[in-house]
Amino acid sequence: MGEHIRLGADVVDGEALVPPTRVSLAWRDLADGLGMFWLWSSLAFQDIRLRYRGSILGPFWLTITTAIMVTAMGLVYAELFKMNMRQYFPYIACGIVTWNFINVLIVDGCDSFLSASGVIQQVKLPFSVQVYRVVLRNLIVLLHNIVIIPVVLLLFGVPIGFYSLMFLPGLAVMVVNGVWMAILFGMLSARFRDIPPIIASLVQIGFFITPVFWSPELLGRYGFYATLSPFASALDVIRAPLLGHAYAIASWPVLGVVTLAGWSITFAMYARFRGRLAYWV
Amino acid sequence: MAFLRLRNVTVDFPIYQGTSRSLKKAIFAASLQRNFARDPVDRVTVRALDNVSLDIEHGSRVALIGSNGAGKSTLLKTLAGIYEPSHGTVHAQGSISALLNISVGFNQEATGLENIMLRGMCMGISPGEMRGYVTEIAEFTELGPYLDMPIRTYSAGMSVRLAFATSTCKRPEILLMDEWLSAGDASFLSKAQQRMAGFVDQSSILVLASHSLQLLEQWCDIGLFLHQGHIRAAGPIKNVINEYQKTVDQAA
Ligand SMILES: Nc1ncnc2c1ncn2[C@@H]1O[C@H](COP(=O)(O)OP(=O)(O)OP(=O)(O)O)[C@@H](O)[C@H]1O
Ligand SMILES: [Mg+2]
Repeated sequence: MGEHIRLGADVVDGEALVPPTRVSLAWRDLADGLGMFWLWSSLAFQDIRLRYRGSILGPFWLTITTAIMVTAMGLVYAELFKMNMRQYFPYIACGIVTWNFINVLIVDGCDSFLSASGVIQQVKLPFSVQVYRVVLRNLIVLLHNIVIIPVVLLLFGVPIGFYSLMFLPGLAVMVVNGVWMAILFGMLSARFRDIPPIIASLVQIGFFITPVFWSPELLGRYGFYATLSPFASALDVIRAPLLGHAYAIASWPVLGVVTLAGWSITFAMYARFRGRLAYWV
Repeated sequence: MAFLRLRNVTVDFPIYQGTSRSLKKAIFAASLQRNFARDPVDRVTVRALDNVSLDIEHGSRVALIGSNGAGKSTLLKTLAGIYEPSHGTVHAQGSISALLNISVGFNQEATGLENIMLRGMCMGISPGEMRGYVTEIAEFTELGPYLDMPIRTYSAGMSVRLAFATSTCKRPEILLMDEWLSAGDASFLSKAQQRMAGFVDQSSILVLASHSLQLLEQWCDIGLFLHQGHIRAAGPIKNVINEYQKTVDQAA
């Protein structure tokens, strides 16, 4: 069995065929992929361009959709919760824009490898290229939505200062988390096709149990517990500085744990199953 | 110098049909595993390559011959590094360009020109460098105004032209091609062969899978006859084709 066949001239022998370990392969995949930024950035911009080819407003449809949602929910819930419009509008505007970002990082993350199956089946590339592409594409979407925030802040007289920029560290941490989520959920979704709908509905539930459009104070003495979830923490580190508020106590610690745990699990899974991805998509 | 080395390469495809893609089944199976000694998700596997060892050295033009399902496409994908084998090792030296599947164009909605850039970038060529190749690629394809149309409007032969010209724009050291090449018309094929002849002189490798024995004989000098994941015969193309035809005649 398996007789050795040689073809061609000049056989050089004695080459050691020691395969690298899975861990080093996974690590190289992540690093090499990151180095190909010109590739994944072009892919990400092309995704956006193609998604809106032929539409007049292009990606600004996103801005309009979000603006309408913010206005509608702002009017209804300010009345329902008997909140002061001046305070509530900026709160819900920042909340929904940030939530949309978190939502799409997770839900679109499930699609990271599946949506690239054509490329994966044809060229050998670091798989992580597809992941960075998804995260960047959603960052671009966020940039279209985010213009709503300064408008609302100015309109409702929320002071914009140096402190507002403190949303950037929060955003950076979410991007770092977005990468592991796109790897882990992308891998699970490629293997088990019922993962994407499950995750989508969990995130949907998350929208209602997270203080996106309601404030934790409304829960009275249970309010503190509402700020403990990873969703709430992610929301808080971006929204609080924009509104000129202090971070909730738990936000950064919770996010720190999520980031570490998420990356550890993801890296272990990636090292183990990366080689199977081409068979799964 | 380019080379390809395979040592005891086995490729198994797990067949995920219906329920084995389902999470529920995997979870229940995991909890029952202690009692039942069977594949936890009832997995059926197909062995597409079975313990294949092979060295392909520079300057070789190898023809993959074999019936449907023999493992030719799988071998090409394994050589390209797309499939990591279930067992064994693949060691490749040299830049690889693979033309494996035209029906999965790079992006069906994008125009021909955009796809040239896209494919080039996926081959590791930076956008700046790629722009330098575009004119030459456009000329080679002779597609003219079609290059501004989405590639979903292309015929099979047009896609082949585009894919071939792009994949070979920066002389690859190893070129792997699956059978669809025959979708090209005669004028394209002779043009492509000319281009290929140039490469092989430059100490590169060509591996081509096709059912057109005539085409293989024209393009290649070495034959590799695959049968059910095994190498049945290897050597000078004429001999291998004879061998193959004998088996076909026997079966008939
Ligand atoms: N993605 C896949 N999933 C499951 N099985 C596969 C897959 N691809 C190939 N196979 C199996 O592997 C074996 C070899 O297939 P392969 O495509 O390599 O054959 P081939 O020689 O290219 O055939 P053809 O001449 O029809 O193109 C077949 O039995 C096929 O069923
Ligand atoms: Mg085939």
